[in-house]
Amino acid sequence: MKITIEDLKNVRFFDDYTDDQLKIFIGISSIKEFKVKDVLFEQYDELKEIYILLSGCLSLGISIAKEKRIRLGTLEDGQLFSWSAVFSPYISTAWVMATCPTKVLAIDAKKLTHEFEKNCEFGFKTMSKIAQTISHRLSDTRFQLMNQLTL
Amino acid sequence: MQDNRNIYTPIRARLTDVIEESPSIKTFVVVPEDKFSFKTGQFIELSVDGVGEAPFTPSSSPLITEKLEVTVMKTGYVTEYMHMLKPGVLMGIRGPYGRGYPVEAFFGKEVLILGGGCGLAPIRSLLYTLESIKDKLVKVILCYGSKTPADCIYKPLFDRLNSIEKFEAYRTVDKADEDWDGSVGVATTLLNKIKINIKNSVAVVCGPPIMMKFGTIRLLEMGYKDDQIYLSMEKNMSCGLGKCGHCMMGEFFVCRDGPVFTYDEIKHNPEIWK
Repeated sequence: MKITIEDLKNVRFFDDYTDDQLKIFIGISSIKEFKVKDVLFEQYDELKEIYILLSGCLSLGISIAKEKRIRLGTLEDGQLFSWSAVFSPYISTAWVMATCPTKVLAIDAKKLTHEFEKNCEFGFKTMSKIAQTISHRLSDTRFQLMNQLTL
Repeated sequence: MQDNRNIYTPIRARLTDVIEESPSIKTFVVVPEDKFSFKTGQFIELSVDGVGEAPFTPSSSPLITEKLEVTVMKTGYVTEYMHMLKPGVLMGIRGPYGRGYPVEAFFGKEVLILGGGCGLAPIRSLLYTLESIKDKLVKVILCYGSKTPADCIYKPLFDRLNSIEKFEAYRTVDKADEDWDGSVGVATTLLNKIKINIKNSVAVVCGPPIMMKFGTIRLLEMGYKDDQIYLSMEKNMSCGLGKCGHCMMGEFFVCRDGPVFTYDEIKHNPEIWK
């Protein structure tokens, strides 16, 4: 499935990218589709792609034992996930599963980091957005933890 | 002529209906025997003879004056007693007290409302008010989180809001059950879902202190200015008059000067999230 600049402009994550920067993403990305109950990746899987949810529904969680999944949250359209693909040791900290037919943008993490080296402005902007995603996830987890501790 | 009534004397109000909203939250419909009105965000003292009184922000529309709805979470002696009351008994109400939402300041703007738990009670009153002035607003977005699907109050409200032009309503739960197919996560995760013009927007936050703290931090990160965020400091209300001193928060008496404040007004107080 071919991706266009217009497609990306409709995705919240790409709000403040220039057309030239969006072309970089198009060159290193593909669209992947998943059915209900498809697991995109398991906790502790080695990750090679960063994903952005285009449409559908995804649940995210952790496993405390084999076959025992705990759902921690859901992802919204335009949200980035599997950020571990650009940070050593490139191991997933959670599992992600489709709960309805879902379409994601899969960005090749190795090619993305190579683009960061070639284009610092693009790299800084993208890493800032990834850091913000992680920061929000951490803040939400603390919020969740505080809720549990004060029950 | 001087009014010699004791300011602590309630007016009588008959309890006409009790609606179970969740396992620990009920809405009490009371009909005052005297004329009574309030502005959205203001609060009242609701009392039970021989038991005591407690402050609550009405959850009904301020435009309806013949009856009043008060949503009460079972948390202590008075509220536990209230949860046992049946329609027909006489209760007491006094007030209204404090400063409510300055809805005129919302004209021409997008209004984002972030709520959690029982905080949806005062928000419902605000939503009714905003619905009545929707022609003067750009849009209204409600993001609400409850601990579980069973803890979500006013369930029919969400479909109703989504059917009103200019209104959007989203809800999430901290912990889902097998029947839940909506969003999972704390209330702030819903902010990833919405599209809002922050520069032309105000945000209203009401809920448990933890939710208000994390919600306000996220709104500031999104780009909201301190004076664009309205906080309803429900938890701090006490006698209603600023006399007993229990509601003191820095230089403010929450009962008298609040319960609605902008974050700009109270951000310097280290105790605002307690």
